[in-house]
Amino acid sequence: MTKFLDTATHWIESQSDAAERRTMLAEFTTTGIPTTTDEVWRYAPLEYFNLDQYSVDAPSLAHAGDALESSIAALGAVVVRTHNGVLQSVEGHLDGLTVEASNHAGSIAGYEDDSFVVLNGALTPGTVALTVAPGSEIRESIVILHSLTTGAAFPRLKVSVGKSASARVIEIWSGGLEALVVPVSEYDLDENASLSVATYQRLDLSAWYVSRTTTTLGRDARMHQSVIGMGAAYDRARNDAVFQGTGAQNELWTTYLGRGTQVHDLRSHQLHNIGRTASRLLSKGAVAEESRSIYTGLIEIERGARRTDARQTNHNLLLSPHAHADTVPNLDIRENDVTCAHASSVGPLDELQRWYLESRGVSRHDAERLMIQGFFNEMLDVLPRDVASVIEADIASQLDGVVVV
Amino acid sequence: MSELVITDLRCNVGDKEILRGVNLTVRSGEVHVIMGPNGCGKSTLAHALTGRPGYTVTGGSVTLDGVELLGLAPSERTRAGLFLALQHPMEVPGVRPVDMLVAAGAQRNEVEATMALEAVNVGLRPELLERFVNVDLSGGERKRAEVVQLGVLKPAFAVLDEIDSGLDVDALGAVARRLEVATKEWGLGVLAITHFRRLLQELTPDVIHVMSAGRVVAEGGPELAEVLERDGYEPFKELSDDRS
Repeated sequence: MTKFLDTATHWIESQSDAAERRTMLAEFTTTGIPTTTDEVWRYAPLEYFNLDQYSVDAPSLAHAGDALESSIAALGAVVVRTHNGVLQSVEGHLDGLTVEASNHAGSIAGYEDDSFVVLNGALTPGTVALTVAPGSEIRESIVILHSLTTGAAFPRLKVSVGKSASARVIEIWSGGLEALVVPVSEYDLDENASLSVATYQRLDLSAWYVSRTTTTLGRDARMHQSVIGMGAAYDRARNDAVFQGTGAQNELWTTYLGRGTQVHDLRSHQLHNIGRTASRLLSKGAVAEESRSIYTGLIEIERGARRTDARQTNHNLLLSPHAHADTVPNLDIRENDVTCAHASSVGPLDELQRWYLESRGVSRHDAERLMIQGFFNEMLDVLPRDVASVIEADIASQLDGVVVV
Repeated sequence: MSELVITDLRCNVGDKEILRGVNLTVRSGEVHVIMGPNGCGKSTLAHALTGRPGYTVTGGSVTLDGVELLGLAPSERTRAGLFLALQHPMEVPGVRPVDMLVAAGAQRNEVEATMALEAVNVGLRPELLERFVNVDLSGGERKRAEVVQLGVLKPAFAVLDEIDSGLDVDALGAVARRLEVATKEWGLGVLAITHFRRLLQELTPDVIHVMSAGRVVAEGGPELAEVLERDGYEPFKELSDDRS
């Protein structure tokens, strides 16, 4: 990784906090790229990953944007634009919401074992921070449009929702030709806060996307996170939830569609440190052609976290005999008084559901398209109808080329 | 005037022969009712007509205005004019009724208004049709949603598999009235499968067919229902045995 490190080192020297960043980069070089012997990287196609394909000082040409981005932007009361992780603009205003950007290295506390987050810490241009003031109930959509260009980008986002406040954020990832995109996002919910985040990743099919999000929930906080993966050669979404207050609830819905040789890689960790908390994970995706998907998820319940209710469901559709899905749900429970369940399946489209649609007069091809689109529609159902419609139409346009064998 | 002609239809489920030569003809505007004991093949007939997976037609013919349906895909049979309202309509998560009906051939610019109108016709709250297909609907609501689809797609013939089960008295009346109107509005031919006379009190049949052991063993007018009410199916089982 000499070439990459040369550009990284060069870039770091131009930063005001170069010393801190240098330390993190040194940590990364010591740890190196993870290996598939680590459970959270098991099955990942790391043999195809070459960091030297990328450079940190890539030219930063502005992403032109497209119809979807324009349509979504028109529906946002506040539209935040970032480019290669750098805050470009904030359009609109909502009482109780502030948007700021720092140019500091990212904190890696708690992430020391994740070398990509360490790399992000060293090389992020800074953190884009959205803060919702306590008591502010924001009903309108906050849209974040992330655009990427060729090269390596290390975006960093922090959304903090104050006590008894609520907000809805829609993130769109676009562009990223031949790019490495390593976003780290943190969602902090204070007591009785409520946040809905929908992330639609539609990067170029040549990109490597290695994302990590962490949701921290205070007492009675409620989080709903939808993660939709359509783009990238390698689409990795690690989404963790950490419960710090009783009564907190976290829902994570993820979905993806694999085409060509894409790999969609979902990891999750539902960490219940405290009792009377609830988590729901629903992951549904489809792999076509020679694509594949990976799901490994861990529900961890600490001793004393009584009356925890944690569930994990992962369903994978195989649309081709050459497609493949690996699914490994894991439970680590150190308390007896809990409700915990997991279910996973890998198989073709439901034959009877398809027949039902056909028996209405829908052709087999259209029935399959509707059912696959349905996976995404379920995930989008929590969004306002106008926003969901725009994303649904964008997904539908990409489904037309998908062949079910 | 259209004509649905079922001739010597035979069908297996797995290795077991369930339909053993069904014959009947339905014409536009007619209401036919099929009655019979449990396991006689009524629902199998409905599923065989619409090409449900797992139901293997081993012989016979089903034509609609002379066009053989059995060689067609399920969607082509429906588009040719044969619609099935299921006994247990399936949930299809993520798929909206409006998108399903547009894919089935309904006009996008008209379909939502038509759905709302048809929903009112059968006493179904139109907003329930904004949910994904049959998801979070009660059994009775699903039955009414099937009739809404029928009203949108306006097929030449409808096979109604126990449309009366799960419906309360008022809902059954509304569904029956809608079907009666459809027989005149566009000449819908109805083939209704039922266990209960109650449906016949709401939907006047032209012909009642009694099935037993995979065959139609008796036919008659509405008076046949009274015979069934009085004597049950036992005498008809003997007719079936005679034909074996």
